[in-house]
Amino acid sequence: MPIRRRQSFRVRLRLAVLGSITLVTLTLAWMLKDYGDNVRPHQGLVYCSEASPETFNPQLGNSSTTVDATTHQIYDRLVDVDAEGNVRPGLAYKWQISRDKKSYKFSLRQGVNFHHTDFFRPSRTMTSEDVVFSFSRILDQNHPYHSIGGGQYPYFQGVGLGNLIRSVVAVDPFTVQFDLLRPDASFLTTLATDFAVILSAEYGDWLERRRQKPLIDTKPIGTGPFHFVSYRKDSYIKYRRHPAYWGPPAKLERLVFDITPPPSARLGKLLTGECDVIALPSASEMALLRKNENVRLSIQTGLNVGYLAFNTQHPPLDNVKVRRAIAHAINRDRIMAAVYFGTATLANSVLPPVSWAFNDSLPFVDYDPETSKALLAEAGLAEGFEFELWAPPIQRVYNPSPLKMAQLIKDDLAKVGIKTQIVTYDWQTFRRNLQAGKHDATLLGWMADTADPDNFFRPVLSCQALSHGTNRAQWCDFEFDRLLNDALSSSDRSVRKHYYEDVQEIISKQLPVFPLAHALRFQAHRSNIKGMGLNPYGGIRFSEAERE
Amino acid sequence: MLIYTLRKINLFIFTFVGLSLLSFSLIHIVPGDPVYLLTGLENLSEEQYQTLSHQLYLDRPFILQYFHYLGNIFNGEWGYSLTSGESVWVEIKQTFPATLELVFYALVVAMLVGLPIGSLAALKKESITDHTVMTLSLLGISIPVFWWGLLMIMILALTLGWLPMSGRLSLLYDIEPVTNLILIDILLSNQDYKEAAFQNALAHLVMPTLVLATVPTTQVIRTTRATMLTLLKKNFIKAAQARGIGRWNVLRRHALPNSLLPVSRQLGLQISTLMTGAMVTENIFSWPGIGKWLVASLYQRDYPAIQGGLLAVSTFIILATVINDLLHTASDPIARKTYNAAS
Amino acid sequence: MLRHEIYDDARMPSPLARALVEFRKHPVYMAAFYWLMLLFALSIFAPFVAPYTPDTQHLGELLVPPSWYKNGQVEFFFGTDDLGRDILTRLIYGARYSFGMALLIMTVCALLGTIIGVFAGMTRGLKSSILHHVLDTVLSIPSLLLAIVVIAILGPGLEQVLIAVGLAQVPQFVRTLNNAIREELSKTYVTAATLDGEKGPRLFIFTLLPNLLEPILVQFTTSLSTAILDIAALGFLKLGAQAPTPEWGTMLSGGLELIYRAPWTVAFPGFAILISVLSVNVVGEGLRNSIGKVKQ
Repeated sequence: MPIRRRQSFRVRLRLAVLGSITLVTLTLAWMLKDYGDNVRPHQGLVYCSEASPETFNPQLGNSSTTVDATTHQIYDRLVDVDAEGNVRPGLAYKWQISRDKKSYKFSLRQGVNFHHTDFFRPSRTMTSEDVVFSFSRILDQNHPYHSIGGGQYPYFQGVGLGNLIRSVVAVDPFTVQFDLLRPDASFLTTLATDFAVILSAEYGDWLERRRQKPLIDTKPIGTGPFHFVSYRKDSYIKYRRHPAYWGPPAKLERLVFDITPPPSARLGKLLTGECDVIALPSASEMALLRKNENVRLSIQTGLNVGYLAFNTQHPPLDNVKVRRAIAHAINRDRIMAAVYFGTATLANSVLPPVSWAFNDSLPFVDYDPETSKALLAEAGLAEGFEFELWAPPIQRVYNPSPLKMAQLIKDDLAKVGIKTQIVTYDWQTFRRNLQAGKHDATLLGWMADTADPDNFFRPVLSCQALSHGTNRAQWCDFEFDRLLNDALSSSDRSVRKHYYEDVQEIISKQLPVFPLAHALRFQAHRSNIKGMGLNPYGGIRFSEAERE
Repeated sequence: MLIYTLRKINLFIFTFVGLSLLSFSLIHIVPGDPVYLLTGLENLSEEQYQTLSHQLYLDRPFILQYFHYLGNIFNGEWGYSLTSGESVWVEIKQTFPATLELVFYALVVAMLVGLPIGSLAALKKESITDHTVMTLSLLGISIPVFWWGLLMIMILALTLGWLPMSGRLSLLYDIEPVTNLILIDILLSNQDYKEAAFQNALAHLVMPTLVLATVPTTQVIRTTRATMLTLLKKNFIKAAQARGIGRWNVLRRHALPNSLLPVSRQLGLQISTLMTGAMVTENIFSWPGIGKWLVASLYQRDYPAIQGGLLAVSTFIILATVINDLLHTASDPIARKTYNAAS
Repeated sequence: MLRHEIYDDARMPSPLARALVEFRKHPVYMAAFYWLMLLFALSIFAPFVAPYTPDTQHLGELLVPPSWYKNGQVEFFFGTDDLGRDILTRLIYGARYSFGMALLIMTVCALLGTIIGVFAGMTRGLKSSILHHVLDTVLSIPSLLLAIVVIAILGPGLEQVLIAVGLAQVPQFVRTLNNAIREELSKTYVTAATLDGEKGPRLFIFTLLPNLLEPILVQFTTSLSTAILDIAALGFLKLGAQAPTPEWGTMLSGGLELIYRAPWTVAFPGFAILISVLSVNVVGEGLRNSIGKVKQ
């Protein structure tokens, strides 16, 4: 019966194939069953961030990545600002300013608990000692913690806090007094910035006794709504709710930062629901996000500026004419389209137009290769020249794709005979070399930490910021600095606006940095996440976020 | 057999010395100062430099340095990563099992899929089925792994939303790492969300495993088909058929067991291709394995990590190859005979 | 010179020639072969064939979809990327890096490998045993790992990748040659030639070499497909050719940022790699099958 045997073989083979397919399908089905529901074991939220923070102490950093990861999650500040830029109570529930405006007295909240974690158990609540500790670390060069973590406090050195504060004194356990050398209208907002966080003095002492001082910045203890659990570089940060938080406790039990540098991967993970909230959604994908009903997009006019900073100490870029020539040769409209996809406005000043101090009478730098060539000829460089254009390897709100922007600029400049070498390193090396002033020109930008216009000028272009490395133009103009200081001596906006208009005029004439764009600020999150407010300045906060 | 084993072990030691020499000398070949490359510290004072140099044995003759390096390797002191500050050994212990896990599942899938399909193609030689299988398998070895992975992500994760696109386990689950093999760790843990976590981990495994398994599967199919074709012509098969044993039984009892040996040997030879594939796959799916870690270290020029990673991966590959050889020779009488005849 | 055929000599074509005849009969093999020829031509004549230069940024023509889409334009057949560069042009130029360079480096490898392999195959005893062991070792180290070593020393770049890919493939040739020579040496025709008094280089060139061409060719196709895949993979990982270079893997990784908005920037380079590797593999398979048929 050969035929029958043959058939049964076929049948068996088919059965075998069918059987294995069914088995695989069933297994897959079981794996995928309720996959979406089971994904969240707790009230937890995953935030996909763009990079690893440089440190867990925002005092030491000036990048928005560090601020996002730490400030509003694990720390509190003496005072806070609301969305309108008004100063609100933080750890200090009230404050008094002396008549000469040189002395500030803060009354602290009582019963503010520090984090109780598996690596540190605080024995007391927050007192004025902690406030003094936090500020002495920055100001006092002999403080045991001053040089831990490099001894650089970029933001504070950039705004010249050392030349402003004479002393910080604990009057009693719950009162702190700041004495200033001169009146400063922006002092309160400086204390409200994301960098002015309060650390635990007790933790500092404890670590000092155990000879583990550097841990203060890597295993942080603060008073914020979440406490630190674990961190793996380039991988994740895990936080948990601080149950004894002084304010309304966070709604989330867990908060995880999933560090995902590629923008396309962040977007993908938002769409699949692996991320609940993502940092810096790509400008190019706005249409896709708007269409998707599972995703909410918040948009806000950003207090930021993306610019091209010239190293004004490297010839021939020390020549204003050369800088102007470059500016005229850059087709910014094309950058708007190719890099920002229409999510930014053309910048005419370092200060965004929404700021009250914006100078709207500045001359506009238009795209004009002919003018550019003429300026080059005047500078004796009709033959063109070559310089290095540095493009950071990271994304920022003000520049979603620096490398692409550099390629566009290179193409533009080639048309007027300027050769450009695009240079990039990994971020740590990039920062180090930038600090050392090795660049000819670099694409960078600034995000406002406070609503005060001073914040746009002093850290970016003042002489103090030169030595502390936030002034990437290596530019120092005493007239400019004097105007900035004069602007702070008054608290009358109309008087201050006058000074700031002059300041902007100087920049526009000297062009140490060429402002390119003010980008809109985006944040995208799953639609079942509520309470994700977006501030025009400052880092992200999750204390009110919750899942529905 | 004993001599053969000794010879293989000898070969392994010989190779390991070569590899460790290479990994050791990396620091000296790379342009730049060894002290800086190993510590990441710049602008040191003369005194600090001398101390560090002494601590790192960099002021001794090369031979001594090398033995010091070897000693450190065996003591588990593989230096410290410049970027994370963690011990390189600890990082390797965390990442390597993740890679092994992926490779292992890919091998299992390759066998489970490849053997039946390969046999089928052999049985139906020159039929449409055979041609389809062979064409698909040719496609399988030709497709760039990274592109294939992206396609999968686009379809299974983004369009259909069935599977997560990256990682190993949702970060909201806290699983105590014991073996660093995620499925086992989940089973060992005593969290109340154990089952959900297990499911989640499986869902994360599907795509990377399938992508990584593509190349070995095609290899298994081709080897199985080729071996089967030779086997089916052999006299013992013909004898079995002549005795009236059904085709199914001939296949199951006689042909398949005999083809397992060459197929497994072929797979063993694939281990280095598989590791390469794993390194690329990990980068697509952000799988926290050694490949992703090594590439990241390379971007950041983290030399202690590169040194350690290279040594670990290459030693593993050599070890696996040698063991595969030994096992194969031990279990295959013909290979043993060839060896004995040759010596 | 006039050649007098004294005997009515039926000339028997060599096995390789017969294999090629067999190969030509197969349309699929030939199609793959023509595609490779086309790629070869493109990598030499790219500037004459391509509509633009690979770095031309077309103002206002950013992310134009391929021509068969609604908003597509015929001037940009495969569309443009985010800087307004024509994708077809970049693909054509990319053939140089992804295919041309691979072909070049593999030719060098094949020559080197053949020379070493011949020496290895002709020697015996301890030397050959050591060589064998070294070969086994090097063979088991994947090319990606070798590439990582080279990149760790010299930094990322296309040249480094080529060096690494070459280093990884030379031993493959050596082993193939070594094995083939050993096999051939034991065959009777060699004994016959030896008895005829041939020895040394003569024996090698006239008697052995024609029979070694087959394994070299087959190995060449295998190595070539590995090389193309490795160059592309390293480009994709940003360790190979760097950004503006239109190498296919690099282009693909550049397009990733826009994968949702402009999937064609990822699809075409990937497809180009797939088709090229597939063609190389089909040609290799064809050669193997044809040779197998002839040998039967």
